[in-house]
Amino acid sequence: MMWLGIAGLAVPTPTPAAVPGANIFSSPLLLSVIVWVPVIMAIAIATMPNPRGRFDMLMKQIAFFTNVGLVFVLWIAYNQFESFLSTPQFAESQPWLAAIGASYHLGVDGPGMTMLLLSGLIGIVSVLASLGIRERVRSYFCLLLLVQASINGAIVARDMFVLILFWSAAAIPIALLILGWGGPRRNAATWRLVGYWGLGTGALVVATLALYAATGGTSFDMDVLLKVGSVSPRVQVIVGLLVIVAAATRLPLFPFHGWARDLYAEAPIGVTVVVAGTATRLGAYLLLRALVAAEPAAAQLLAPLLAALAALTVGYAALAALRMADIRHSAAHLAMIPGGITVLGLAALSPLSIAGAVFSLFTGGLAAALIVGVCATLAERAQSRSLLVLGGLAPRMPILTWLLIIGGLAVLGVPLLATFPAELMTFFGSFKTQPIGAFAVAAGLAVAAVALAMLLRRVLFGVPNPDAPGVSDASLGESWYLGLLAGALLWVGVFPAGPKLPGTDAPIFDPGLMKTMSAGISELAAPYDLPTPTPASGQ
Amino acid sequence: MNFFLAQIATAASGSRSSGFTFDPANTLGWAVPLLVITPLTAFVIALTSVRTRRSSASLAMFGAVVTMLLTLLVGWGLAKTKIPFLHAYQYINMPVAFSGPTAFQSFAVDIVLRVDHITVAALVAVELCVIGVLGWNQVMGRSEPGPARFHALISLLLFACVGALVSWDLAELLAFWGLAGAATYLLLAHRWGSDEAAIRARVALALPFVTDLSLLCGVAWLYARYGVQNLTSLVPVLHTNPGWTVRSLVVAAILLFIGIGGRLALWPLHSWLTQTSVTAPPAALALAQAVWSVIAIVALYRLMPIIVASNPQTVRAFLYACGVAAVVAPLLALVGNEPRRIVTLLGAGATAVGAAIVIHGFEVPNATFAVAGIACVLAIAPARAAGVLAASAIAAAMRTDSLTEMGEAWTRMRVSAQALLLAGLVLALSSASALAFAFSTRSRVGLVLGEALLLVSIGALRVFMGVAFGPLRRRRAFEPDRVGEAPRASRGWPYLLIAGGALVWVVMLVPRLGLDFLDGSKHPAPAVGAYVLWVAVALIGFAAAAFAYVRNKDGALKASALAAAWLGRIGGAGSRSFARFIVAPATEIAIRLGDRWIPAGDAAVGSAVETTGRFAVAGTRLPVLPVVVAIAVVLTLVVGLAAPGVFK
Repeated sequence: MMWLGIAGLAVPTPTPAAVPGANIFSSPLLLSVIVWVPVIMAIAIATMPNPRGRFDMLMKQIAFFTNVGLVFVLWIAYNQFESFLSTPQFAESQPWLAAIGASYHLGVDGPGMTMLLLSGLIGIVSVLASLGIRERVRSYFCLLLLVQASINGAIVARDMFVLILFWSAAAIPIALLILGWGGPRRNAATWRLVGYWGLGTGALVVATLALYAATGGTSFDMDVLLKVGSVSPRVQVIVGLLVIVAAATRLPLFPFHGWARDLYAEAPIGVTVVVAGTATRLGAYLLLRALVAAEPAAAQLLAPLLAALAALTVGYAALAALRMADIRHSAAHLAMIPGGITVLGLAALSPLSIAGAVFSLFTGGLAAALIVGVCATLAERAQSRSLLVLGGLAPRMPILTWLLIIGGLAVLGVPLLATFPAELMTFFGSFKTQPIGAFAVAAGLAVAAVALAMLLRRVLFGVPNPDAPGVSDASLGESWYLGLLAGALLWVGVFPAGPKLPGTDAPIFDPGLMKTMSAGISELAAPYDLPTPTPASGQ
Repeated sequence: MNFFLAQIATAASGSRSSGFTFDPANTLGWAVPLLVITPLTAFVIALTSVRTRRSSASLAMFGAVVTMLLTLLVGWGLAKTKIPFLHAYQYINMPVAFSGPTAFQSFAVDIVLRVDHITVAALVAVELCVIGVLGWNQVMGRSEPGPARFHALISLLLFACVGALVSWDLAELLAFWGLAGAATYLLLAHRWGSDEAAIRARVALALPFVTDLSLLCGVAWLYARYGVQNLTSLVPVLHTNPGWTVRSLVVAAILLFIGIGGRLALWPLHSWLTQTSVTAPPAALALAQAVWSVIAIVALYRLMPIIVASNPQTVRAFLYACGVAAVVAPLLALVGNEPRRIVTLLGAGATAVGAAIVIHGFEVPNATFAVAGIACVLAIAPARAAGVLAASAIAAAMRTDSLTEMGEAWTRMRVSAQALLLAGLVLALSSASALAFAFSTRSRVGLVLGEALLLVSIGALRVFMGVAFGPLRRRRAFEPDRVGEAPRASRGWPYLLIAGGALVWVVMLVPRLGLDFLDGSKHPAPAVGAYVLWVAVALIGFAAAAFAYVRNKDGALKASALAAAWLGRIGGAGSRSFARFIVAPATEIAIRLGDRWIPAGDAAVGSAVETTGRFAVAGTRLPVLPVVVAIAVVLTLVVGLAAPGVFK
């Protein structure tokens, strides 16, 4: 089915010239393919016979190659993406529920393309991380593909009704995956997830309905609901607060982070990777779309609140990571830090900080996925999660050692890794408008450095514990999925604008993530362009 | 590429060549990028394919030597010109806005390779340190774990150092600076398996990270005001950019100075070196001290125009801070009896003297002072490394880290003891020479720095006297007769470093050879009288230490140990208070939030939801009419009580 879908891409289909981006790619169904192919393959896996688990490996391969195919399609789209166009590309629009004004409207701009690339990469990584699943393989990979589909749908949705559907849909398969394949405290983790994400979804629904009512109740399309200046400042502030609640429950941000620790600790590794890598980034993506881009008055009023939340998140996560006795709990808290930095960039509301926040959506997702993934893998390989038991593992686990170091340094934003340019842009853009928030986040990063040093010391550098269970280094599959994340961090860190032929501006095979993500950022940040200062004499 | 094309074009043109001509200036186009790439290549090869100790050491050494040769080639190419080599490669360039100030409509970070004479001299100093340390470590570091990782990290550190020294873009400087910081931490924390090493290495990560963040904040602050990161573009507009204020420049200056001061190990930001002086591998400690002092002093020199642009009071405050650091660091070296810690603190004090001279050179302003400060640190850096290596060899042979248990090194380990002495001499005399250029002994700052020089001299000779003379006592499981000189293959490397430092010191005394080369300007030699006076201060320090230790070595060491115990108690009380009143409550609040309050809140919300659900279910079973009547009565009462005038 997937190959049919891909083959369909090669057939040129006449499309209305008015839909931007439709004639760039040879098919107007690109985004639908990205959203629905995982669903179709999930149905295929769910319905195919599997007597006594004979086809378990085949199902894993189906899931894997589905994601590979999606990445292939995304790669083509990435190379054909026009970075000079500010309007959404590869757009699709079909009327759906005309009575309430809901339409099947998809489209993607620079930030959306960035998120799709992240989702594609994380999709492959999550499948590779799940190759160790032995029980109820069919159900597991079916649900995993549904998670993938719902995240992709939330990214590309251009209609708030569709967005809410995909946004809320993501929670169900994740909850089932944790319930079915999680650790000892999976029940608590699941219900906490459902509670918090349910609260966030509720807030998003109320915000959408408020916008719907304020704009005349005719359409859920984002071009109508999220048009700048379409609602009064008072409504903007109410909607803004609700959007912040929705985003904060997803990212997570302090104090809506209660689900994160248990989920990252109890969920299977593949699920933790996909949640940390992409599902949580949707929170910041929502903030970007629904608050920063659409409600400038509310964004400016609520910016200090967002900055405070960002600083509190980074500070709390770092402090909590200092005292954790469980390696997966430590990783869960460290994984919150990139989200805080992204929100700082959005709170600063300067063009550069918004660009940095968009970039950190991608890089932060990779860093968070890597740190939770490697800690979970290490805990499995060392047969213990307790930091009182783990110790001196570096000589016996060299691969995981390097990956944990890279993951930790990526969270901190060390140069050569992709998080560095993202944090650079975020901080550079934030100091103008939110200097206190930027200082506070920087202080939190310093505490995070100490927490990371303690984690590395205890787990890798300390004295080996003679009473600890036997350990083994990462297997080939584990090395691959963690290596993909580390490699992506290094690649984007060294070539954020893509490698170029020496002496020219011609890209070699990667047009550059930065170039892609810049599409639409200038328009997005237009309400926040810095005023030209008047010449003033120094004091 | 252009160079090769030009060569090909010349050959193809059929013009008759008039013999072999080689202009080193023509090599700059490829030599400078290759200079940056070579250590990175060595790192990548080491990471991906090298496993054994010998091959990893050889690869790291090969990379360092090639880098040194390229540096010398570049220096040769620049020798006849004052114009620095400059080339930029785009790293990031993206538009972010269509309106607003032009400088903020796009964000660009370039990899700018700018090489001038100071850069060349600094590169040579760094590479000399790396080569010397690698050579020493090949023999003396045989028992260190993880040799492949260690040598790979040294190559990474060299790459980052080279990048930082050739940077001319502030964001680029930050990138290489951060990378060097990460590599330094991994080197200092290298002794995996030792709990104490790992605990102490925590400081080596946290403290420099804080100061590096300060540097990041300073650069970000400047960018937020000016929208420019290239120093060539930034410095001219510091006072002309619309909206500039003195306050913003002062804030930027403070942040930048803290960032640089941390890596210069200016007191009180020195503990990332002193805490790891015993637990880190000696090679790592030597490298960390030496290379960071060079990088930081060059960065200070380049950023001084920004600091000077703030206001004179800020510059003076920084000068005083360096003066205080220059005095306190060697004073702390008199407290305690760990030779490596002492050498580290002496080096920090001498470097602070150099930093003070650089700042004073911009304050006055006087270019001679500034380059004299740089030359001072370039001479000190290899000497610091040599001192650490020599002290480490002696400590390893005597199997102790305390001067109270050391002795007889002059008879048993004369080569290493001599190296320690010579390193101390270079430290002290380099500082004296630089002070002769810049300060009068009658000025207040000159007095303070003179005191610093005196203390450095006392400390330098103190550590030598402590290891070289006095009885080497028998201890449990230690036989003094078994103490012998370090392996032959390792003895020469500290001397190589000392020779390098001494060469810079000597060259500094002849401005035509030294200072003039550094910045291409003519500089006067120091007055002979001033020079003699400052050297005399150093000699007095040597004499004082010699006198004290010859008279009563045990007494002097005991006094140091007592002072160290007191200082340890005060420091311990301070850190215990900090941990008890700040760290513990903060982390406890975070833990309670995560472990108790939030889960309790979740449980309460869950209970409330469940209770509501039960009520809802129970409500469906109740008869309708009585419930409606009851609700109506309750509502009536509530409205009546709440609304004024209803029951009146």
